Amino acid sequence: MDTLLQAFEGGVVTGSVYALIALSLVIVYKSTDVINFAGGDILMASCYIALVLLVGWGAPYWLAALVAILGGFVIGAGFDRLVLERIARRARGQDIMIAAVIATIGLSYVLKGLVRMLGYADEVRSLPAQFPGRPLFLGNVIVLRQDIGIVLAASLAVAALYLFFRFTKLGRGLRATAEDPRAAALIGIPVARMRMVIWGIASALAAIAGLLVAPKILMTPDMGIIVILALAASVLGGFTNIPGVIAGGLLLGILENLIGLFVSTQAIAVAPFLVIMAVLVLRPQGLFAGAARMKKV
Amino acid sequence: MTRGGKPTVIRILAVLALIAPLFAAPARAFPDGAPSGKYSDPGITDTEITIGLFGPQSGPLRNFGYDPMWAAAAWYDMVNRYGGIWGRKIKLVTDDDKCDPTTLNTVVRKMVTVDHVFLLNGGSCTPAAVSAQEFVTREKVPFVMLNAAGDKAVFPPTRYVFGAFGGTQLTVGGTLIDFVAKQLHFKRIAYLGNDDDFGAANLAAAKFMAGKREVQLVATERVPANVVDLTAPMLRIRQANPDVVVITAYPQPATLAMQKVSEFGLTMPIVAAVQSVPNPAALFKNVNDPAAFKNFYYGSPLNDLTDGPGQQWVLDMYKRAYPDRTPTAFMSYGVPSAQAVTYALLLAGPNPTRESFVDAMSHLKFETGIMAGPIEFAPDRRDAHNASIFIKYDGTTSTRMPGVYVNEFRGE
Repeated sequence: MDTLLQAFEGGVVTGSVYALIALSLVIVYKSTDVINFAGGDILMASCYIALVLLVGWGAPYWLAALVAILGGFVIGAGFDRLVLERIARRARGQDIMIAAVIATIGLSYVLKGLVRMLGYADEVRSLPAQFPGRPLFLGNVIVLRQDIGIVLAASLAVAALYLFFRFTKLGRGLRATAEDPRAAALIGIPVARMRMVIWGIASALAAIAGLLVAPKILMTPDMGIIVILALAASVLGGFTNIPGVIAGGLLLGILENLIGLFVSTQAIAVAPFLVIMAVLVLRPQGLFAGAARMKKV
Repeated sequence: MTRGGKPTVIRILAVLALIAPLFAAPARAFPDGAPSGKYSDPGITDTEITIGLFGPQSGPLRNFGYDPMWAAAAWYDMVNRYGGIWGRKIKLVTDDDKCDPTTLNTVVRKMVTVDHVFLLNGGSCTPAAVSAQEFVTREKVPFVMLNAAGDKAVFPPTRYVFGAFGGTQLTVGGTLIDFVAKQLHFKRIAYLGNDDDFGAANLAAAKFMAGKREVQLVATERVPANVVDLTAPMLRIRQANPDVVVITAYPQPATLAMQKVSEFGLTMPIVAAVQSVPNPAALFKNVNDPAAFKNFYYGSPLNDLTDGPGQQWVLDMYKRAYPDRTPTAFMSYGVPSAQAVTYALLLAGPNPTRESFVDAMSHLKFETGIMAGPIEFAPDRRDAHNASIFIKYDGTTSTRMPGVYVNEFRGE
């Protein structure tokens, strides 16, 4: 029983990080119809920004984290402004989804290449734990303070995002842009700028996820591969359903550990892909979304 | 820092005794064997022999091959300073293969067809090195891999390809179990390895040696290189209640495993493979718990710590050649292949052909003064090295454990 609870605890912690990254993918997808395959690498690049500031410049942690989150914002917003916006302009109303997705894959490689040039990518690195200290014991289950911190910080980030979208003027403008860009433009909302902000916020969210998870999963230029797990969480929850995506992230984290514990360690690697395929075949709208809807084109 | 091993002077003398015949002028050392002036193979004249030397000089895997390649070049330079081989100076044609199969193939083809090298000495990454196997076999060009050590490159053996001077994964897996059984005297072993072909070869040797040494693998967990959470495999290992945990995974999962050792408060000894600990200090920093390193050991194919007395002559050679560079831990790995090429050219006689060179390589056996065990080839053997030493590391001090450990598994 203790082993099962320990696996469950580990799953909740990694699952909350999957949820946070998945959320960054979903808010971009809801607003722009683009799946951001560079989400994991924006996370990775933000972590390396923090690392350079901490190790290279001796900056305090709070400053390194702040700059890393701002860095994530700038990467996302800059990518939309400099690449996606231009692609859209040249497409003159044609569907740019494929071009945009390929551009995100390109961004992913560019970020990996740039990070490798920094000189910090030759070995496995880590960021300091934000919540250090001796582990706590719930019965025989070991709970790290960092784990509690990750779950709380991820929950806070989700809550802050909810409040921002719900109660601020900018948030409402962003939601209007996501729901119907043409109608938003007609009432004077600067759609292009809103999209840029959405990319920035989503990327800052990925950066927060990276800072939380880097002490736990370690840093290499390939750590962005975690985006695949976030995609699986998104599919599991329903790609446009934000509470569903959060639940999907948690469920995937727990599922991975239970499969690893009761089936085989090697099955952990294929579990997310099996989840993606099973959900797409059996319930394409996701486990937590309503009935599938036809999109008007 | 505590260092083990025999005194440096003895090691240097042993190496000098081995290489001394190379440095005698051929007319004096071999009066009847002067070069004939007629050569059937390209890349050789009365005064020169051309070797294609390559490795990753750029790209993400540069660290694996940059220093090894220039260490090999320093060795050849030293041989030239002492007069060359049979009176011929070694001329190097160097290039960057980026550890990429396509690039390596282009480099190899260019070296053979444009630069007309006599033989190839290069490759630090197995997938890239293996990709040249078909070409060198068809063209009958000897290919002595620099420090690529994957099993696929040398199993099954092919005539023209020699390698694994650091030992294959069979060596790594087999020697780990040999060490645990012979030195630590443990019977119940938990094993955490990779889920790829590297891991499969490693585990096959570990299982064989476990049977041979009458110890038991009580848990066998194999994980992907990009795994982000090792809770489940480490829980399974904890449930198995082993005497010792053997880790052969890549650096990232190995670090995650050590973090779990710390988190779960596991107190049994941990023995890690060389590929799991490219930088012990970085591992210690990432785990950030001295208690996890109370009983921590890692393997090495070298004869000593990378800065130990056994490695000093290689470090000195490198420093003499490149005073401004600080070598990485991989540097020494490049020299044994260059030593093998040198000795085989010597054994092939004053008028070597590619075929006589390959025949000489096929019967080569020598002590490098660098690696834990001898370099040894045979007509049916193309993997060079089969031994490891082990180092105890507690976060500040590295201590070489006594003995050299050998793998007895030769594959299916």
